Amino acid sequence: MLEILLGFTCVLALVLLAFRSEAMNRWALVAYGIAYLGAIGSGCLASAGCLVLPWVEHLTAFFAIDPLNLIFLAILAVVFLPVSIYNLGYRKGAKGDRSSGTFYAVFMLLFMASMTGAVASTHLALYWVFLEATTLASSYLIYFPKTKASLEATWKYIFICSIGIAVAFVGIVFISVGSVGFDSLFLADLYRNAPSMTPLWLKLGFVFITIGLGTKVGLAPVHAWLPDAHSEAPSPVSALLSGTLLNTALLGMMRAYKLMGLAGFGSQGRIILLVLGFLSLVVTAAFILGIRNYKRMLAYSSIENMGIVAVGLGLGGPAILAALFHVAAHSLVKSPFFLTAGNILRRFGTKDTREISGLVKADPLNGWLWVAFCVAILGFPPSPVFMSEYLMISAFVSSGRWLLLAVFLLLLTVILYGMGRRVFAMSFGEPVMSSDSGPVPVSMVLPLFIFIALFTALGSGIFAPLFGLFADAAEVLK
Amino acid sequence: MIYLLIVLFGSTMLYVSATSRIEAYIKTLYAQGFLLFLMVALEFGRIETATFVFLCLETLVFKAVLIPAMLSNAVRKNEAYRDVEPSISHFFSLIISTLVFLGGFAIAYLSGSRSAEIQPLYFGISISTMVNGLLIVMLRKNVITHAIGYMMMENGIFLLSLSIAKKMPFVVDLGVLLDLFTGIFLLVLFAGKIREAFDETEVDSLSRLKD
Repeated sequence: MLEILLGFTCVLALVLLAFRSEAMNRWALVAYGIAYLGAIGSGCLASAGCLVLPWVEHLTAFFAIDPLNLIFLAILAVVFLPVSIYNLGYRKGAKGDRSSGTFYAVFMLLFMASMTGAVASTHLALYWVFLEATTLASSYLIYFPKTKASLEATWKYIFICSIGIAVAFVGIVFISVGSVGFDSLFLADLYRNAPSMTPLWLKLGFVFITIGLGTKVGLAPVHAWLPDAHSEAPSPVSALLSGTLLNTALLGMMRAYKLMGLAGFGSQGRIILLVLGFLSLVVTAAFILGIRNYKRMLAYSSIENMGIVAVGLGLGGPAILAALFHVAAHSLVKSPFFLTAGNILRRFGTKDTREISGLVKADPLNGWLWVAFCVAILGFPPSPVFMSEYLMISAFVSSGRWLLLAVFLLLLTVILYGMGRRVFAMSFGEPVMSSDSGPVPVSMVLPLFIFIALFTALGSGIFAPLFGLFADAAEVLK
Repeated sequence: MIYLLIVLFGSTMLYVSATSRIEAYIKTLYAQGFLLFLMVALEFGRIETATFVFLCLETLVFKAVLIPAMLSNAVRKNEAYRDVEPSISHFFSLIISTLVFLGGFAIAYLSGSRSAEIQPLYFGISISTMVNGLLIVMLRKNVITHAIGYMMMENGIFLLSLSIAKKMPFVVDLGVLLDLFTGIFLLVLFAGKIREAFDETEVDSLSRLKD
């Protein structure tokens, strides 16, 4: 099924290249989003045994759906469709020649295909191949505004991520060296033989993979590309980078983490993740107070949230469930937050927080959405972020790490203050904007409400079976 | 014979650290690609024929010809013949890379006595090549030199994966090569765009985005 999906993506990309019609580019992405959701949805049901599909049997050895990557695939599918609808309005009437619009759509498709391949891969090195492909496919998307700033962001992005991923490849080679008595990098073989692996090579491999993939996840201190790329990319791309790309790299870290656990070095792996997680929180807290560009602010918030996930993995035990839930919560809240930032940028033409105030008066719809997403990402109910952070805190308490909990809460409070202050200063008061290009099209607002419905459903716990999925995934990592 | 090639490969990095002519870096890349090909060629009979043919093609066509040619073309197009004002002088950079090179031998010596899974000299020299590649990226200021440094680092990684007897599935090998080639292609492309936008290819001009 996944092969069909990947093949279909490439065919669609070729069709778009052949026709080069701007309307077709935009609608093809929406159609792809629907098809993708359908394919992943039916694939998930089939792998859960709820649905019998003859072609699911024909999966090759290289791709499979397991309880862990099922969540990541579902996030990809659920985030992409609303983003593609947003893109309808975003790209409508856009300047630029026809071919650059076509390249935009084609690279968007390749970006999705590479993320799908990485998430679904059952082979560690194949995962790496697809992850590097995500960097290459998304680089054009970040460059797309074709300004000096976007060029600089793209260069840093390709360069830093490629070197990071090369480091991860060295880690994979080390793991291969350490696999005594078997010659395979299939995850199933690695997991089965983990206890007999050479400890030195396994640990070295884990460190290299974690630091290397950490670059792509955006964990401090190797996060340098993230604020630049997220703030300069077109808003639908920022939403995908934050909501799906970071997760894709995170999955690789989780696979390596599991391998360490199986080999009996879980506690050493957890310490590394705890350190990286807390560092990310510290870096965010330090930078978010002085930030003047609201898209950069959201990017730092992504670093923070990836840090929270790393802390959750680092705590282990019940916090793993919290970490996985946080991955989904962050994607569902941060993507529309970036899209709203895009609406504000399009209407008022500035990314500087000081040049914007009284959003609620000037543009009530986007103003209130801006406030709502801020409140949601900061973890107030019914946001799913509240639920995951609550689970995380209770994991701190149950393991008796009071000092760490205090530091964790202190850092979150600083970040809450830093972000809340800026967002509220932008939203309330009297409007001071110097230019106003009028309301954004409906298609750029509608998807935001889809996201609100989705994350409220997740956060309020209406769909109990969803928790079962997260519990199953957490079981894989324990 | 093979040890001679490995040491020769490692010492090419010393040459790079002591010059600021970008064309010299490119020549080194050609040499490295060809040395890697010779190393693969010496393995004839010891690895499967299909893998052998693929590795020969990869090293000879891509690493020894196409990729350096692409970078050399970028140097000419962007008129970036020299690396101006590296962060530290050539003398110090030569000392540092010599130390790293010696460190590679030290790693080879230490790992040889401790681990049966790897070939020590391969391992040590590949690590020192990677570190030297990274040093070039960190200490030089031209974007094309950065791309060359990245490629040298990738050559080091290739040597590392040659040193382990294990092999990857064909589709993975192919994917790795495709990624590398596309990556360099994009770097060259964006280096050209940087030259168009900023009228030079120095990284110092890339300093708009910060907090």
